[in-house]
Parts: sequence; structure tokens; C-alpha cells
Amino acid sequence: MNRFKNARLSTKLFATLIFATSIIFITITMVTFLIVRDLTINVQKEKASLLIDTVKPAVSLALFLGITDIGEKVSTVTQQKEVMRLEIADQNGKVILDYQPYSASSPYDMIKVSKTLIEPSSLKPIGLITLTYSGEEFSKTMDHFYTLYGWVLLSIFAILWIMLIWINYLLLPIKLIANKVRNFKPGEKIIFDIPYSQAEFIQIVHAFETMQERVLEYSSEIETINKNLEIQITEQTQEAIRHLYYDNLTALPNRLKLQEDLLTKPINTVALLNIDDFKEINDFFGIDAGDWLLTQIAHWLSEMKLSPYRLGGDEFAFRLSDELSPLEIRHDIEILLSLLNEKLFMIAEETVHIRATVGIAIKSDKPLIHADVALNKARSIKQPYSVYDQSEGIEQRYQANIAMSAQIRQALIEHRIVCQYQPIISCSSGKIEKFETLVRIKNEDGTLIPPNDFLPISQKTKLYHHITQEVVYQACHLFAARHEQFSINLSGSDMSDSRTVSTIENILRQTGTADRVIFEILESEGIENFDEVASFISRMKALGVKIAIDDFGTGYSNFENILKLNVDILKIDGSLIRSIDENPRHRIVVEAIVDFAHRIGIDTVAEFVSSEEILRNVTDMGVTYAQGFYIGKPLFLNPQLM
Amino acid sequence: MSKILMRSLLLLLIIYIVGVADESFVLNAHIRMIPKIMALDTRLSSKSPSFKATLAVVYDTNQKNAAFSIAEQINKVHNGKVSNLAFSATAYSFDELVERRDIAFIYIVPRCNSQLIKKVAVWGIVHSVPTFSYDVTDLEYGILGSIAIERSTVVYINKNTLKEGKFRFNDILFQIARIIE
Repeated sequence: MNRFKNARLSTKLFATLIFATSIIFITITMVTFLIVRDLTINVQKEKASLLIDTVKPAVSLALFLGITDIGEKVSTVTQQKEVMRLEIADQNGKVILDYQPYSASSPYDMIKVSKTLIEPSSLKPIGLITLTYSGEEFSKTMDHFYTLYGWVLLSIFAILWIMLIWINYLLLPIKLIANKVRNFKPGEKIIFDIPYSQAEFIQIVHAFETMQERVLEYSSEIETINKNLEIQITEQTQEAIRHLYYDNLTALPNRLKLQEDLLTKPINTVALLNIDDFKEINDFFGIDAGDWLLTQIAHWLSEMKLSPYRLGGDEFAFRLSDELSPLEIRHDIEILLSLLNEKLFMIAEETVHIRATVGIAIKSDKPLIHADVALNKARSIKQPYSVYDQSEGIEQRYQANIAMSAQIRQALIEHRIVCQYQPIISCSSGKIEKFETLVRIKNEDGTLIPPNDFLPISQKTKLYHHITQEVVYQACHLFAARHEQFSINLSGSDMSDSRTVSTIENILRQTGTADRVIFEILESEGIENFDEVASFISRMKALGVKIAIDDFGTGYSNFENILKLNVDILKIDGSLIRSIDENPRHRIVVEAIVDFAHRIGIDTVAEFVSSEEILRNVTDMGVTYAQGFYIGKPLFLNPQLM
Repeated sequence: MSKILMRSLLLLLIIYIVGVADESFVLNAHIRMIPKIMALDTRLSSKSPSFKATLAVVYDTNQKNAAFSIAEQINKVHNGKVSNLAFSATAYSFDELVERRDIAFIYIVPRCNSQLIKKVAVWGIVHSVPTFSYDVTDLEYGILGSIAIERSTVVYINKNTLKEGKFRFNDILFQIARIIE
């Protein structure tokens, strides 16, 4: 079937013609055959019947009259050469006459016709006459028929063959046109020279020529469009490269360009220059002025032949020759910073002095990272510049911080954040009345990581709130089954984080420990975020929670804020308590705090009570509670961890 | 001499025997066929089934016994019915015949005198009653037909009598009959 679909048009036409002709021929032949056969055989039967009819009355009468010698009466029939047999029998089947002129069997089919003999007067059947007629004429007629149709069939096939040749000849121009079109190349014009012109082919040729003209026009347009597109693409590529590698504001190459430039050599010397307090300039003069200043600085650095890069914000970088010694580099940087300090920049008719801090990585395989580390170090030590020194291990510290962050995250997942509780006794009774909750990370080997090692990192990695929520959960659930009060340290960010505050409230309600919990807040938090802390204290006090100010007495203590915050306990800083025996100033401060607390009616707690003498002193001074190693070290109260 | 005489006597005897045998053979054929030819008379066959035809076997004085014998034979062979036609064969003299009005067909026995034959023929024509005779030669006296046993059985019909008597027979009869003038 697919072969026929893909066959040539001439083949399809010829096949269709053969199919249609065959169907018509077979149908006509069959119909004609049946008609001729039936007609011929009927004619022969009719002849035989007529022959019988000529003698039938005489034979009937003879039989009626009992005349048995009727050979003469049927002689008109028996004389016919086509009569092969004539048989007459009476009504009992007794054969009266059996005429059979030929003994040998005829090669032709026989036609047998029988008729009943009727009694002349009463019309009763009295016998049967059977005539066997020769089929020679029928056979000859049919032979003529077959011969005729054989010739007709041959003629039809001859005509079909001639038509095939004719169809191929007619369709020849299509081949020629197809060959021409197949070899078409853009820019060339096809000339269709077909051998004869028929209307259909002229139309096709005309259509192709019209299409060819349009294709040529279109090709020309496409070529023009392509050229324009190439120009646009080139321009946009250059623009994209410029955006990719150059800073829009200063037109200096950017960080990506610096990174690619640094890849040309394995070892590089790079300096990062950061404008000091640029945020203040932005805040004071506005962002547009800040941008203008950055542009001027970029221009100045270019004038200094430094080939600067702008890495972003107020940070610039430039490469230094590897041939310079560290000493020469330091010297050059000092001169550069000196010149920058002396340079006056103009912002809106105002002169501005700027300072900068520089981090330098000399012959480093990671110059940008190392220069950045050096820059941070220079800032932290408040020096104008710093050179990266691998022996300082700063990079290792960063890696340690990253590792600790991962360790905290894993500890939270594996529930290895645990709490120890340090007892707090009443100075008057000497009995343990409270515990301070102290968080730890329990290593897989069972050792504990103290909070100072992971809490600062957790604050920077947004994990602190999760630790706080875990500590509150554990402490509240533990003390729900005990009677003592217990304190938990909270940071300013905890109190300003609505989700953490909401979680704390839920835990307190679930465990019913709100009236025994004390949240310890650093005095500094109360000063820096007064409104948020006040709001938190208000919400907690509504639940029955008590608030303690931790490490009170070391910072810029503001008694007015303490009064406003309506705290319940002041925890006197351990540095004051630890040396209370030796340092009279500390003693005076402690006495002042205790006196203040007594006057406003709140309790005090002395931290770091490490000896009996210190305990006696703080008791004598009127401190309400004492806490320290002398009283008791932090310990697990949860039986599973003990 | 005696041999010749004996041979002559023997020949005469043979001729007589053959003659008697031939007459008997023809007569038997007539006994079988005459009622059937009567049945081919369309005027009879068109009558009601209750109609009973009379086949008159006519004789002259010398042939009375033969006539009765033939009539008896006919009745015996056909048992009073041929085709759909009921009939009875009865021997009549001419005088008796002319008195009858129910005669449907007349058969004249062998060896009747020609005068009788003529009279019967005339009577038959007048009364339109078909007349058949034993002897074919009787047709020259005006008899309608006869049956001869020649090379084959032949029915002779007298064309003139057929016209004069306006007889009506089944057409088939004329296909096998030999019409003579």
C-alpha cells in the first residue's frame, strides 16, 4: 500500500485505468456471457421444444388410439441431424419408441427437453416424449463468444499499453519542471523550457516563475534583515559584554572581569580598597551624591595609574606588580592612602575628605579572598591597611565557623541541643529556690560544647531562634514536673522575633510554668531596643512571667530604663562579685545596686559566687540570691541525661 | 397330380387362415380404435358428462351375429367408457337404425352389401352421424372413414363426406388421418 502511495503519478493513473477497465470488462463479460449462454441455450431448447410440438399431437393421438408403430409419424423430428435421441413412453413408463441415431457419444453438451403427451379428448396425460438435442450449436456459439472476447481483451490491453506510453509522454513536462526546481539555487533564475505547451503546464510554469520572483524578493529582504540583525547582535553582544564585565556607574571593569583577569596567572597580588563610613556619606548627602563621589574616586584611582576595578558598593580593587617586594607594596599603599586623605572631593559645592581601608593579598593563589580577609582584619584592628598573613589562621577560623554552623544545624536535627541547670540559692535560707538554664551542644562522643563556642555563630546563621525555642521547650517541660523557679536567657533578636515569642507563649501555656519562669535579658538589650523589649516584657508579665536583667552593673546602667521596664530581678554581673573582697569600688557598686533594688522592691542575684567568703559578703550586703560554682555547678536535671 | 392338388389345397388353406387371421387382427384394431375416434367428435365430447353416447354397429341380414359379437367386444374392451365419454355399443339393422335418434357413431361390420352401405352413408350425412366401415373401399359409397392396417395403422377420412356431413373432429385427428377424395 505505501509503495502505491509513493508510486509515480503515471503508474497510479495507469493502475487506476487498468483497475477500472478490468472491473468494467469483467462485469460486461460476465453479463454478456450469462445473456449469450442463456439465450443460446434457450434458443436450442426452443428449437427442441418446437420439434416436439410438431409431432406431439400426432404422437398423442397415436398413443390414444393405441397405434404403436409411430416411427413414421415422428420422422419429421428424427430426420433432424441435431436430434440425438427421441424417446416416447406411455403413462406407465413403458418405452414405445427410443430413437437414437448415433451410437457414439457426442463431444458436445446435450440439451434434453421433455413434454407430457395429452389425450386429445380429455386432456389427460397419457405419456412422455423426451427429445435429446445436440449442444453442438450452443458449444460453437459459446466458442465464438470466447474467441471474440479474447480478441477484445487483447485489444483492451494493447490500448492500455498505448495509453501508458501516452500518459508518460503527457506527464514528461512535470519531470522536467521537477528537475529544474530540484536544482534551484537561491540567486539563480530557472528557465522552464518544456517541449510542448499545454494549458496546465503553462499554469504550473507560470506559478513557479511567480514563486521564484517572490522567493528572490524575499531572499533579498531576508539578506538585508540578516545583515541588520548581525549588526544589532554584534552591538547587543558588545553591550552585554560591557554590562557583564563593566560597572555601569563608574565604567570601571567589575568583579567578574577581575576574576577572569586573575585567571591568566596562578599567583597574583591584589589590593581591595574600601571607603570608610561611606554609608554615612550616602545618608548625609543622598545616594546620588554618593554615586557621584564613587565616580570621582574611580576617576582618581584611574589617574593614579592603578587600573582599578569596582567590585560593588564602596569597594574597589587593583592589581599590583608581583615584582614588588612586600615592603615596597606597603610603602606604595601608604603613599596612596596618604594621597587619598589629602584629596578633596566635591559634593554639591561642599568639600569632602574621605578615608579608606585597604586589604592586600601578596602573591596569593586566592587573591580576592585573601585580600578580603586582610581588609576585614584591617577594619577590625582599625588600621588603614593590612596584608594577608596565612600564619594568622583567619581563613581557618572562617572554615571553623562554617563547620560549627553545620554542627549546630545537625545538632538541632538530631536533638543534641541539651540544657544544664545551675542552682540559685536564697541567701537568707541557703536553700535552692531557682535554677538558671544553660544551653550546651552534646557531641556524638558525649562531650559538651559550651554556649560561647556556638551561640555567636548561631546568631549570624539565623539558627539562634531555633536554639532558644528548643531551650524554652526543654526547660519548661522539665520544670512542669518540679516546683522550683527557673530562668532562661533571651537575646534581643528573640524578643523581636514574633514567631519565637509566639512559640514561647504556646509552650508556657501548654506546660503551665509561666508563673515560675524568669527570662533573663541583657541590660544592653533594654537600652538598645527599649520599645521592643518593653513590649515583650508586657506580654510575658501578662502571663505571670518574671523578668531579670542579666549582667547588671557592667554597662552604662540606666536606672530609669530599669524602672520603666518594670523588671523583677537584677542579676549583678559576675565580674563585680568575683573581686568583691579585693576591690572596694566593686563593693560600692554592688551595695548601690542592692540598695536601689531594695528601694524599688525587686530581688537581686549575685553571680559567680565561687567561695564561702563571697557568699557571706553578698549575704551581708543584702543580696537576695546567690549563684556560682561554690553554690553548685551546672548539671543535668533530666534523668535521661544525668 | 395329387401333390399339386394337395399343395393347392394347402395354399388355399393358408390363404384362408391368413385371411381369417388378418380380418380378426384388423377387427380387433377397429374394436379398440372406433370408440376413441368417436370420442374425438367434438360435438359429443362437449356434451355433459351424464350424456351417454350410442355406438351403432350396423349389419345387414347376414352379419347379425358378427355385429352383436363386435358390439359385445367393444363394450367389453372399453367397459362402457372411452376417455371421458360414456357410451354403449349396440348392434342395429339399418331399419332399426333409422328409427333411432340417439345414435352418435356408426360402425358398419365387414362384408355388408354396398346398397346398405350407401344408405347408411346417406343417413349418416343427413343426420350428421359419423360413419366408419371395416373396409376402406366402402369410402367410395360415401362412408366417412375407415382404419386400415398397412405398413402402419392408417386412418382414412373421406373428404367429401366430411364436408357434406359437416362433421367436427378434434384437429389432431386430421394430423394423422389420411384424407382422401
